[in-house]
Amino acid sequence: MNNITQAIWVEMLKARRSRMPLLTALGFSLLPLGGGFFMIVLKDPELARRVGLISAKAQITMGVADWPAYLRFLALANAMGGVILFGFIASWVFGREYSDRTVKDLLALPTSRSAIVFAKFVIVAVWSAALTVFIYLIGLGVGTAVALPPASADTFWQGTITIAISAGLTIALVTPIAFFASAGHGYLLPMGVVVLVMFLTQVIAMAGWGEYFPWSIPALYAQGGNLGTASYVIVILTSVAGIAGTLFWWELADQTH
Amino acid sequence: MDTAIETNNLVKRYGDVTAVDGLSLRVARGEIYAFLGLNGAGKTTTIRLLLGMVKPTSGEARVLGTRIRVGEKKPWDSVGYLVETPDAYPELSVRENLEAMRRLRPGIESKAVDGVIERLGLIAYADRRAGTLSHGNAQRLGLAKALLHNPELLILDEPSLGLDPAGIVEIRNLLIELAREQGVTVFMASHILGEVSRLAKRIGIIHQGQLLQELDVDELERNRWRRLVIRTRDNHAAHAVLLNAGFSADITSDGMIEIKDNAAIEQPDDIATRLVNAGHAPTMLHVEQEDLEHYFLRLIGMDGGNVK
Repeated sequence: MNNITQAIWVEMLKARRSRMPLLTALGFSLLPLGGGFFMIVLKDPELARRVGLISAKAQITMGVADWPAYLRFLALANAMGGVILFGFIASWVFGREYSDRTVKDLLALPTSRSAIVFAKFVIVAVWSAALTVFIYLIGLGVGTAVALPPASADTFWQGTITIAISAGLTIALVTPIAFFASAGHGYLLPMGVVVLVMFLTQVIAMAGWGEYFPWSIPALYAQGGNLGTASYVIVILTSVAGIAGTLFWWELADQTH
Repeated sequence: MDTAIETNNLVKRYGDVTAVDGLSLRVARGEIYAFLGLNGAGKTTTIRLLLGMVKPTSGEARVLGTRIRVGEKKPWDSVGYLVETPDAYPELSVRENLEAMRRLRPGIESKAVDGVIERLGLIAYADRRAGTLSHGNAQRLGLAKALLHNPELLILDEPSLGLDPAGIVEIRNLLIELAREQGVTVFMASHILGEVSRLAKRIGIIHQGQLLQELDVDELERNRWRRLVIRTRDNHAAHAVLLNAGFSADITSDGMIEIKDNAAIEQPDDIATRLVNAGHAPTMLHVEQEDLEHYFLRLIGMDGGNVK
């Protein structure tokens, strides 16, 4: 793989010039804002009674209005929302080359196809991580604004680590989405896969097998679930399979678009 | 022959469809070679095979001496290409699209972007988003990407597509100049014989995946049908005179006399003299040459749009 830094520069340029970073940031910023609203609801039982259903949901999710609960909410929302949003980013980064029919210009260059695929994965990971940092910072602001009770530095440290690791697990799982965007020549197939994954995540988690289904694992981790080594191995294997499948597709499959 | 492109019995099948069927051709370095065929004849599939974008079912292709395999990296720093439509990143400007391509082709100086923008007449559009370009300017951008790194070999799919008449002449002259002055080899696919005959030295005609004929442009003149068309006040009498003189003359459906004998075509004045002496002076006499479109359709087994 040669010329990777230049390939990353090119992918960065494409991302910067699109509206996608703004749209994904706007979409993701709803998570900490929504969490902040739940906190307000939990802090004020009168308001909770007036809003009815939403307050019931807030009780189920967090229980009490404090920093540990709010940070746990952010980690869980990031893990579950990330499957959709990070998957959407991967769909765009890879699928747009097929939808815009620009992939053919990337296939016979001195820069190898592997370098281009690698650069795309780097951009997806950096973009997704940046969104996580973004909602984390907004979350800190919202938590402060709604005047959550002060918490220890250790509470913040633990909450931050949980968000970081669950986000890392979620980001690792976008690689199969990149494969489906490439093999499906656009956005439709990968987004369909994301919807299917979300559905299966719910069903499998309810059946009690969530720790063995890759896309359930980040959310279980965010909830403080006791995951075994097998769960981490499953995430790693899924991620590696996604990378290998995408590389294989770009390097060896007939490219007719 | 020092070859830039060589294919040996190249075959590409997609399921039951044979897109390219036993294609063997040679393109010499510095030559402009036109690859002519109707839509769906196999031109673009051949180009994709040459660029390693699809795997051959059998056979092989060599580009600048390198055997092409899918994912092959070696010859591409010396090859510029335009495949099918000239697509670009719509949200990037013309300059940014070219800058992105420059970055992916290591070793090109940054001033090359400005140079190719000027060369392709894109200065006025350099900072315009590619998504807002007209077809003609999008085509120019596609060609600019292909020419950015001064390649030894250009593989171009319908390079004149979307250009206005002035643009067609401009690009034609540019390609001729590149071949003549810099020794660039140009392999261009087209479906318009009239256009490529003004540009190419050699022409390969592909139909239903098979190479029907390869010919020099000079041969075009010799291969095209010619006929002498004559009208007199009494065509039937004049026809009889010509038959008696040993010419294989016919009366056409619109009542004119037609002679395809080379002797008559080369010396129409002799025919005129004979007819005048016989008392049937021509009111019209001219040599007609088969137009290139008809010639092409005849070659591929379609005449005037009707399959023979």
